[in-house]
Amino acid sequence: MSAINLPWSVLADYRCFGCSPHNPGGLQLVFEPHPDGVSARFRLGRQFESYPGIVHGGLVGAICDETMGNLIVLRHRQSALTVSLRQRFITPLAIGRPYVCVARLDPDRDGQRLYRAAAEVLDENGTVCATATASYRPFELADVRSRLTLSEQEIATLSRALGERSG
Amino acid sequence: MTAPGTDNAGDDIVATVTAIAATELGLPAASLRPDADLREIEGMDSVKVLRMIAKIEQAYDIELDDEVVFGLSSVAGTAGAVRQALGEQP
Repeated sequence: MSAINLPWSVLADYRCFGCSPHNPGGLQLVFEPHPDGVSARFRLGRQFESYPGIVHGGLVGAICDETMGNLIVLRHRQSALTVSLRQRFITPLAIGRPYVCVARLDPDRDGQRLYRAAAEVLDENGTVCATATASYRPFELADVRSRLTLSEQEIATLSRALGERSG
Repeated sequence: MTAPGTDNAGDDIVATVTAIAATELGLPAASLRPDADLREIEGMDSVKVLRMIAKIEQAYDIELDDEVVFGLSSVAGTAGAVRQALGEQP
């Protein structure tokens, strides 16, 4: 399965904790197409440890959020901010073991202001270890330029890469 | 996701919860009585109960309160919690 080229990759130095290959302290997630949406395989080292041998639960939430958020960006061609995130932990994730996070979108509803998505984290046997649901508020990059440390040219470049529907 | 059984009687919710519980246990659905104590069933443990709850939440697109989840003991009780979460009469 081939990796999805994210729109953020047009920024040479983007540092997203979840998906940037340029952030040595980040998760460096790589997304692939999945029949339900997108997936991200991961195997976390001890820098992400909680109890000895156990992945920090906050990281599980970050991975679910990242996978759902990028799915929304890819499907809706709009950047979006997380409004709420709800996580259910079933079994702890082990340091050094392989997992996959699969995210899917909830169906669009007429007049909705928010996008909703769900995710699950599966171990190598396909057993569900955690689930998540979240809501996202879409925004245009140009509308939040004062909050972003990007130049006008970078915003224009990124907007083109996103294929924003307006703005 | 389209929630199964939301257009029909509560029996459908019981049937769906039973099917999900049976899948977790690797048992035929017909062997699970609605009033059976889930934690007393051989092979069931707290992780399987939690996984069952996660699958039910996904199937119905609902969020069950944790206090409710950790108080659930039977298929019928779980179905009742689903009904309440869906806004139906228990």
